[in-house]
Amino acid sequence: MVRAVFGRVKPEGEAGPARVTHLDRDAALVAAARHDRTHFDALYRKYLAQVYSYAYYELGDHHEAEDATERTFLAALANLERFEERARPSDGDGASTFRVWLFRIARNVVANERRGRRRHPQAPLDAAALVSDPLDIERGAALRDDVAAAWRAVGRLPADRRRAIVLRFVEEMSTAEIAGVLGRSEGAVRVLIHRALRTVARDLDRGGSRR
Amino acid sequence: MTAFERDGSEVEALLTDLYLESVLTRAGADRGPADARLDPALRAVSDRLRRDLVRVHPSFRFEERLAARLAEAAAGLRVSAAAGGEGSVIPFARIETPASLAPDDFDPLSFGAGDTDLDDRPERSRPLLIGGALTSAAISLAGAAYVAWRRTRPTRSRSAMARAARAVRDARIAATHGGWPE
Repeated sequence: MVRAVFGRVKPEGEAGPARVTHLDRDAALVAAARHDRTHFDALYRKYLAQVYSYAYYELGDHHEAEDATERTFLAALANLERFEERARPSDGDGASTFRVWLFRIARNVVANERRGRRRHPQAPLDAAALVSDPLDIERGAALRDDVAAAWRAVGRLPADRRRAIVLRFVEEMSTAEIAGVLGRSEGAVRVLIHRALRTVARDLDRGGSRR
Repeated sequence: MTAFERDGSEVEALLTDLYLESVLTRAGADRGPADARLDPALRAVSDRLRRDLVRVHPSFRFEERLAARLAEAAAGLRVSAAAGGEGSVIPFARIETPASLAPDDFDPLSFGAGDTDLDDRPERSRPLLIGGALTSAAISLAGAAYVAWRRTRPTRSRSAMARAARAVRDARIAATHGGWPE
């Protein structure tokens, strides 16, 4: 499956893994939006799917995800003046960028939504249907089951581990960005993700995640 | 957990992170061989989550509805900024009670030009949003001038203390001049 990759560029002439260089990616858009708030639309279009996706994985419901997305962007628009680009090269890739700031807002909004209800999100059947193959019903069904099982396993993780996994795999954030969003060190995030993967692996091995 | 085990766990976490970086940024054969020290189970679950945890896009209708709402909010912010809504809060100068004055010299009626009510003094020092006040009164300059005049004109105080002082003053004038106070 072709996955959209946001904010990742490969440095010229460098053979190592691609590095995330967000520091100046949104600077022009943010400056334009600060000068004239109607230009916020460009930032909105760029990050809508990411914020919505994060909210959907956290809440497991389309309507609640829409509400959280709306609140996130309205809060970001209203508080745009407060955003400060504090990143320095020594902070690592992606530190304190607009995306990190936006996801910190999203994290708070989603946390409030989750506090307002008692139940955990259930299997995202709609999302599972999205990745099934409509031309191959048998294969599509198997794929859908796999997706649902993977989601259930991730959904059973403790909150911080689940968020880290979603930010890493769905949003394709770097460790530094996730650290910024979750308010932890990069080392702590690496350990968080590593432990989460171990738990998910065990869960998936145990008979298809208790379907 | 011993220090050795903790270090081992952190090294494994670092290896996992490097593998994820390659998994998420490169496709298929471009990835190259994975580090042999990395647990195959971790590799497998990483590959699976990369495949199964897809990004979900909201409906087009929602996208456009929220875009319109944001545009409306942005226009509102622009209007309020142009009208001085982002002006600073300016505190009025606080008028202190003249403690140096002897009680007999202190005339509650004449103290502080426009000081209409001594009991209300603490409220006089409350900050006012100048930009917002002018915005609401900006129908005409006369409106702003009227508000300013109302706030500064001397009026008769209605507090008990002021009424008592006024009564004593009137009695003195009546006794001195044998007539009605001015």
